[in-house]
Amino acid sequence: MSRFKALTGKGFGWAVPAVLVFAVLAGCSGGGGGSTAQTGTDSSTGTQATTSGNETAATEPAEGGTFTYARPAAVTSFDLHNEITANNAFAIDKVFEPLVSFDKDGNIVDWLAQSHEVSADGLTYTFVLKDGLKFSDGTDVTAKDAAFSLERHLKVGGPLEISAKVDKVTAQDDHTLVVTLQEPYTPFLSEMSNFSNGIIPADFGGKTEEEFFKKPVGTGPFAVESWDPTGDVTFVKNEHYWQEGKPYLDKLVYKLVQDDSQALNQLKAGEVDGIESLALQNAEELKNGDGTGVITNGSWVTEQLFFNTLDEHFSDEHVRRALALAIDREGLTNALTFGYAQAANSLLPTTIPYNSNDIIKPLNFNLDEAKKELAQSKFPTGFSSTLLIASGNDTRAQEAQIIQAAAQSIGIELKIESVELASFRERFFAYDFSAMLNSGQADSPEANSIIAFQTDPDGFSKSYWTHYTNDEVTKLLHEGQTAADGDGRQKIYTDLLQILADDVPYIPLYYPDVLKGVRSSVEGLVALPNGSLRFEDVRIAQ
Amino acid sequence: MTKINIRTARREAGFPSSWRWIAIAALRALIVILCVTTAVFFLIRIVPGDPAKMILGEYATDESIAALRHTLGLDLSLWEQFMRFVRTLFTQGDTGNSIVSGVSVRELIAARTPVTLLLIALACVLAIAFSLVLAVLAATNKDKLLDHLIRVFPAITLGMPVFWVGLLLILLFGVRLHWFPVGGVKEGWSGMLYSLTLPAITVAFSQIPTLVRSLRAQMLDVLESDFVVTLRAARIPRRVILFKHVLRNAALPTLMLFGVNLSYLIGGTLVVEQVFGIKGIGSLLFTSISSRDFPVIQGIALYCAVAVVAIGLLVDIVAWWLDPRTKEKR
Repeated sequence: MSRFKALTGKGFGWAVPAVLVFAVLAGCSGGGGGSTAQTGTDSSTGTQATTSGNETAATEPAEGGTFTYARPAAVTSFDLHNEITANNAFAIDKVFEPLVSFDKDGNIVDWLAQSHEVSADGLTYTFVLKDGLKFSDGTDVTAKDAAFSLERHLKVGGPLEISAKVDKVTAQDDHTLVVTLQEPYTPFLSEMSNFSNGIIPADFGGKTEEEFFKKPVGTGPFAVESWDPTGDVTFVKNEHYWQEGKPYLDKLVYKLVQDDSQALNQLKAGEVDGIESLALQNAEELKNGDGTGVITNGSWVTEQLFFNTLDEHFSDEHVRRALALAIDREGLTNALTFGYAQAANSLLPTTIPYNSNDIIKPLNFNLDEAKKELAQSKFPTGFSSTLLIASGNDTRAQEAQIIQAAAQSIGIELKIESVELASFRERFFAYDFSAMLNSGQADSPEANSIIAFQTDPDGFSKSYWTHYTNDEVTKLLHEGQTAADGDGRQKIYTDLLQILADDVPYIPLYYPDVLKGVRSSVEGLVALPNGSLRFEDVRIAQ
Repeated sequence: MTKINIRTARREAGFPSSWRWIAIAALRALIVILCVTTAVFFLIRIVPGDPAKMILGEYATDESIAALRHTLGLDLSLWEQFMRFVRTLFTQGDTGNSIVSGVSVRELIAARTPVTLLLIALACVLAIAFSLVLAVLAATNKDKLLDHLIRVFPAITLGMPVFWVGLLLILLFGVRLHWFPVGGVKEGWSGMLYSLTLPAITVAFSQIPTLVRSLRAQMLDVLESDFVVTLRAARIPRRVILFKHVLRNAALPTLMLFGVNLSYLIGGTLVVEQVFGIKGIGSLLFTSISSRDFPVIQGIALYCAVAVVAIGLLVDIVAWWLDPRTKEKR
């Protein structure tokens, strides 16, 4: 057995223990990842979009440089009229800009327009363009370009269709665009702030549509330098940008990093300056981390538990009300969101005008009431059903479990069914669910945006696939669309939201914050309530 | 001893002639590729999920979805879609254009091939190098502490999923020590090699345990064989015995095993690419699956099927070549 003893290599002896030590070390570092995070100087300021974290490089921020932003999905198209998903929307809005936009608090502000005016009858909108506007190729922007852009959007329709009945779009002179509507439609102005109403050059600047959107030219702070539809986008500073001296950055790179933990680690190692996709459970680690921070802002998103009102059990309004009474929204929000969300009282997030969060009386957590409510239903002793969720989202999986436990406490047995995103969509588009967790999102700071999508039984989404129909709600929905801004409109939405809170076609659970990870060397980054970032004012400490 | 005619013996034993053998192997390969392509075509369409809805999002109207489905040819019957697919495959040698980005699948795959191939190559080199060292150490220290440690090591690493090993390496060498980039691939050859080191080690990790076990066992077999004893008696230096005679004889079966495992290694590479944010074939496959980009999924499936079958064929040929019973002919 030991006859080959003599062959023992003396020289390699260290190698194996070394390999093992390495394995153990790696193991330790995995487990103790959080423990090395140093305590940060916390400068978080509530709803304000500011960087909070630990400043390591305390040098002065400088102009120029490149900001690398890790994003989970590639930019596949710049055709603003045909796109809606965040991967494209948040690239399109760097290149094209609308006449009016919204600030970080969701207020509508003039953007490419110097001013705008709505006639007393709500039918005529007049936009006056700012002086000296230029596209990134140096050509002047005129009202003709604005008219062309709007007309193409009307022609294309697309996923963010203009809902107003537009009668005429006229370029009155080089600076003035007049849009007339067939009937008043109050949400029109706010819809004009969508990225899909950005201004493109008339006739695509003489190119074909296809050519133009391959190398898009707009008025935005950045222009596309190179673009791989399956990979990264490199933007360069628009030298003709109308905001004097901005953007400060020379380049902005959208780097495709599909895996979230890979993106997180790249941020920690300083290989990227910001990450778009940040799970709630990792926010604290970045905030307290060495050289990293988070920026937050209120969002236009409402996380909800949706019911299929055609379902055997959930068609019974007492069942839905019982479940609403059984769920402790405050507790659920605290348990899941680490302070990066607000428990919901109404369908509309507090960042949206007319949200009525302080007026609406939702069905608050009360187990006795919940049991009484269920006793009035067709299923007084409970029943079993399923809760559909999309896989791959830890927060939502935990949320499902909390709801499952809540339902259990009043005798409703919910089986959680977790399917992959594409299957999930297929299922609820076909009304093939009993209850599901999903979120509703406004495209612009406008009450109608969420409400129309979630209450219109004649809309294609059939009240967000709940099939919820209530004639009073439908009537109020249409009144809200034509009523002029003011107290009257406020009353309409308050009434409407209260009916929703009582009928419970869905339970609004919480309003999650917009949450992005950044290096603490980054200054001036603004998170918008739609989840996009403004890079115009960004400077990076060297 | 009477001399045996090898060729006759082989034929009598049921072995086909070399040309026939190659023809059969190639035919078998072709059938496997066709089956894989067809199976993937139908599988991805049976699985729920509609590319049009993934592109247009949850807020798309039925009309816009129907219009896009028509443009993409998804409103055709499954059979018509399959015929169209086969036609493109044979006329253009391609599976068409990506539904999401419009780029031709061939271009997409070609652009991402170099980095994936380099990763596989690097992983192979590392796997072989590590396995050799560990196996030699284990075999020469049989039943001693070092041997036990080396034998425990595979037991541990075999139980660790590839992505987890990758994460540990990233945390230690990327985030903590800053020795290697956390992910992505840097420009130029040296940059590529540098960024691919950690991923390659990760992939190699999954291969080392089986290779070490096999090589150690083979070496022990050879070490205990009579000719080694003779060599030792002839006072041949131990280094020469070990590396020239023992290793050479022990390595062949392990190399064959390695060839077979190569297809698993390709599979492992696909996962590792995702973990390290490398834009190779693997990450392309992941994105395409989640967005239901049918032509790209089919293209990659075809590509991987060809690669795996080609490797299998190569392994078969090498095995046949090395088979001593064929020596006479050569």
